[in-house]
Amino acid sequence: MPALAQSAVRPSADFAACSGCGLCLLVCPVWRRTHDLGLSPLGRAKALQYGVHAADIGASVESCTLCAACEPVCPEEIAMVALTLDLRRRLRQAAAAPAALARMGETSPPTPMPQASAAAVLLPDRALRERPEVLARVSTLLGGASAIALGADDGADIALALETGTPVPAARLERFLQRLRRAAMIVAADGLLLRHLRQWLPQAKIVTLGEALSRLPAVRRGLRASDLYVIEARAYHADYQRLVKYYDGLRTAATCAFNLDLQRIAIPATARSLQQRLGLEPIDDKVQLNWILRGREVTRKVVESLEDGAVFAQVSSLPVVHLVDLADDGASPK
Amino acid sequence: MQLTDIEPGTLGPCPVAPDSLQGIKRQQTNPSRWNGANWAAFADGVRASGIELRESMAARAAFATDAGGTAHGLAHGVVVARSTEQVAQLLRAAQQCRVPVTVSGGGMTTEGESVAFGGVLLDMSGMSRVLSIDAAALTVRAEAGIFWHSLAEELRRQGLDYLSAPLNLTSSVGGTLGVGGIDVNSARLGCSADQALALQVVTPTGDIVECSDTHNAELFQRVILGYGQFGVITEATLRVRRYTPLRMHYFYYASLSTAIEDLQLLDRNDASDYSGILTIMDCAVNVLVAFDSDEREAAFMANWRPRLRAYGEFGFGLRMLIHYALRPWKLGEAWYLLQRKRELFPELRRSEYMRDGAMHDRSVVFSRAVWKFWGSRQMVIPDLATSAEKFIEVVQRGNAACRKYFAHYTLYLVGIKLRPEHRAHYEMSCIPPDAEGWAYGCEFEPLLDDGIYSRDYLQSFKNEIYDIGVDMGASYYRFGGMMKGYIRRVFGDALVDRHLALKRQADPAMILNRHVIF
Repeated sequence: MPALAQSAVRPSADFAACSGCGLCLLVCPVWRRTHDLGLSPLGRAKALQYGVHAADIGASVESCTLCAACEPVCPEEIAMVALTLDLRRRLRQAAAAPAALARMGETSPPTPMPQASAAAVLLPDRALRERPEVLARVSTLLGGASAIALGADDGADIALALETGTPVPAARLERFLQRLRRAAMIVAADGLLLRHLRQWLPQAKIVTLGEALSRLPAVRRGLRASDLYVIEARAYHADYQRLVKYYDGLRTAATCAFNLDLQRIAIPATARSLQQRLGLEPIDDKVQLNWILRGREVTRKVVESLEDGAVFAQVSSLPVVHLVDLADDGASPK
Repeated sequence: MQLTDIEPGTLGPCPVAPDSLQGIKRQQTNPSRWNGANWAAFADGVRASGIELRESMAARAAFATDAGGTAHGLAHGVVVARSTEQVAQLLRAAQQCRVPVTVSGGGMTTEGESVAFGGVLLDMSGMSRVLSIDAAALTVRAEAGIFWHSLAEELRRQGLDYLSAPLNLTSSVGGTLGVGGIDVNSARLGCSADQALALQVVTPTGDIVECSDTHNAELFQRVILGYGQFGVITEATLRVRRYTPLRMHYFYYASLSTAIEDLQLLDRNDASDYSGILTIMDCAVNVLVAFDSDEREAAFMANWRPRLRAYGEFGFGLRMLIHYALRPWKLGEAWYLLQRKRELFPELRRSEYMRDGAMHDRSVVFSRAVWKFWGSRQMVIPDLATSAEKFIEVVQRGNAACRKYFAHYTLYLVGIKLRPEHRAHYEMSCIPPDAEGWAYGCEFEPLLDDGIYSRDYLQSFKNEIYDIGVDMGASYYRFGGMMKGYIRRVFGDALVDRHLALKRQADPAMILNRHVIF
C-alpha cells in the first residue's frame, strides 16, 4: 500500500464551528439550483453536528461543485473545500478511484525543469491542453519558452484524484512537486490544483492563469466597457483575499461587468457535481449562466477558462473570447 | 471549561450546558416535543398527494436549531416548500391529522421559534423566486422564502434595492414580515414589515388568500407582525427604491444617554437617511449616521453636525487614553476596546466596497461584520422596545444587567418610525402601544467569545432584561419561543385572550407554529 498524501493542510475550523448563519447558501450554485438545504454546506455542517455519518450525506458531498464560493464568506473560516474532500475520501468513489489511481501509477513524463531562478512554470488544465493553439498563445504572451516552461506533467491526474477524493500516493505527489519547487512562479489553470499547490508549496509564488494574463497590458487594452469578464471561480476563491483586491482594481480600470455578486464572490459559470465531472450525469449549466447574464447588457464575454467559454458559446449568440484573444500584439484574431 | 473540536460524524457535549451529561446523545432538549400521534397516517397521506416528505436524520438535523443555538429539536419530517398549492395541501392534511407545522425561512430566530419539536418542519427557502419587478412603480413581487440578500441581488441587476431589512442577509422576507425587522434606516422608513403592500397567505386550514390593507385587511393585519400564527406567507409585494451607495459618518460618545438624546434629535428632525447606535459595552458608544445623497449629507453637516455632542475619532481616542491612564486597573478593558476597534473598523472600510468615499452594498458590509464579530454558535439577544421618552432609562437598566452578567457585550439601538395607518398591524407586536411617532429598540447582545455558559445562565440574563421591560411597560422583538412566558405579563390577559380566540378560530387544531406564541 503506498503512502497516501492527505489533503494538504488540516482545516483551521471544521463543520463543528458552523454557527448556521447561512451566508454560504447565498453563493452556493447547488443551493441556487435546488434550494435544498441538505445539498448545501450549511446542511452538511448541521447534519454532521447532529451525529449523521458521512455515508448518510453522500449525495450532498458529491453534489458539491468545489467552486469554493462558500469559503470566503464563512465568518467562522471553515475550510469547506478541504472538509468536503475529506468526506469524499471517506466515501471513496468506487467508480472513479481505480481509474485515477491507475493513471497515477504510470510514470509521468518529465517536465522541462526551470533552469534559472527567474523561470516560471505554466500548468495548463485539461481544456487548455486540448487546445494546443491557445496554449501556445498563452505561453507566448507570458514571455515564451525562455520565460515560462510548459509543465509536461501538469498534475491533471492529481487534480482528478483530489476532486474524486482518491488519495494521492505520496511518491507521485513528490514527483510532481519536486519539479515545481525551483520555479520562481507557477501559473496554474486548474483552480483546485492551484488551491492545493498554495498549501503544498507555501513559499512559492502561485498565480491563476486569469491573473497572469489579465495583468498583461496587451490583454488589458483589449477589454471593453461593454464586456462581461468571467472570472474562473475555483482559482479566484482559492486565493480570494488577495484576488478580490486585484479584480476590484481591474474592474475599476476596465469598467466592464464581472461575474461577481454583491459579496464580491465569483458566480461560477460551470458548476458541476462530482458525477457530472466524471461524465456520469448530464451537465446543465443553464441556471448558472442565466444568473450571470440576468439584467446585464453586454456585447461580449471574456473568459479566463476555456471550459467557461465553451458553455457560454452554447447558450448565447454573443461573441465569447478567451483572454488571449484580447492581446493586441498582432497575433490575436480580432 | 474548554470545548474540544467535534469531529464530523460525532456529537460533542452540549456546549451550552457544562453540567449536562457529557457524551450522552441529546437530540432535543426541550420538553414539549409533540408525541407523534397520527404521524404515520399523515405521512402516508402527504406522500400520496405528491409532496416529498423527508424523514432521514440528515434532512431533519439541518433544522435542529436556529441562529440562537440554544433551542434544539427535531421534526418528524421535513417538507421543502415548492409552491403555494403544495403548502396549502400540507396544511390541510396537518389540520386534519392535528400534526404541528413549524415554518422556517432563514432560521434566523434566536429563541427556537423556527425549531420544530416534532411534527413537520416546512422549509420556506424552497420558494425563493422573484416573480416580477415593476421598476416604474418601484415594487417587487417575490416568493416569501427568499432571503433579503437574494432579493437584493436580483433588484440590483435593475438598479434597485429593498427599503430595509435585518442586517444578517439570510433572514427570509416572509419571516421578517411576520415579526417586524429593523435596519439602520428604520427611523426613517419604519420596520421592514411596513414595506409590505400585499401578501399571499396560506391560512392554517389551507386556504390561499390574497390580502392587503384594502383587501382581506383583517388577515393582513394579523399576519404582518403576527409571528406566524395566522398563516404562512407564500408571496409578498414589497416597496423598493433606487439603489444608492451611502456616505457613512461615525460619531463617538462616552455616555449612552447623550448619544441616545442626539440620536433622537436627528430622527425627530429627519436629519439623516440612516442612523443608529452601536456600542462596545458602554465604553465606546458609536452613533452612525449615513446618507443616500451628497445634498442630504451637506445639509446635515451644515445644520445638525454642530449640534451633536460627539467626539471625533482623535478626540475620543485622547479621552479614552486619559480615562484609562487614571484607571490602570481597567487596562484589560482598554486593551479589549483597542483590539476590537483594530479588527472591526478595517472590515467596515474594505476597499472593494468603497468608491470615492461612498460605501457600496452596505448590507453586505454590515452583515458580514455582524456575523464575523458577533456571531457564534450560541447567541442570546434579548431586546426592549419603548417609546422615545422611556428609552434612555430602559437602555441604562439593561446595560447594567449586561455588565452584571458578561465581560463583553454590544448594544445596538435604532429608532423605528411608526406609521399611524399601520396601528392595527402593531397590535401585540414589538411596537409598544404607548409609542407615538417613533418607537426605539435596543438589542442587548453579550459577546460569548470563548466562554461557556449554561442555558440557565443565559436564560437568567434574558429574564433580567425582560423584567425591566415588564416593569417599564416596554415591548420586545423576541417574545416568542423560549420567551413566550412573558407574553401575558407584557401584553395583558385581555389582549392575549382576544388573539388566542382569533387563533383558535383560524387554526382549530392549533397546528401552525404552535410553540411560538400560544
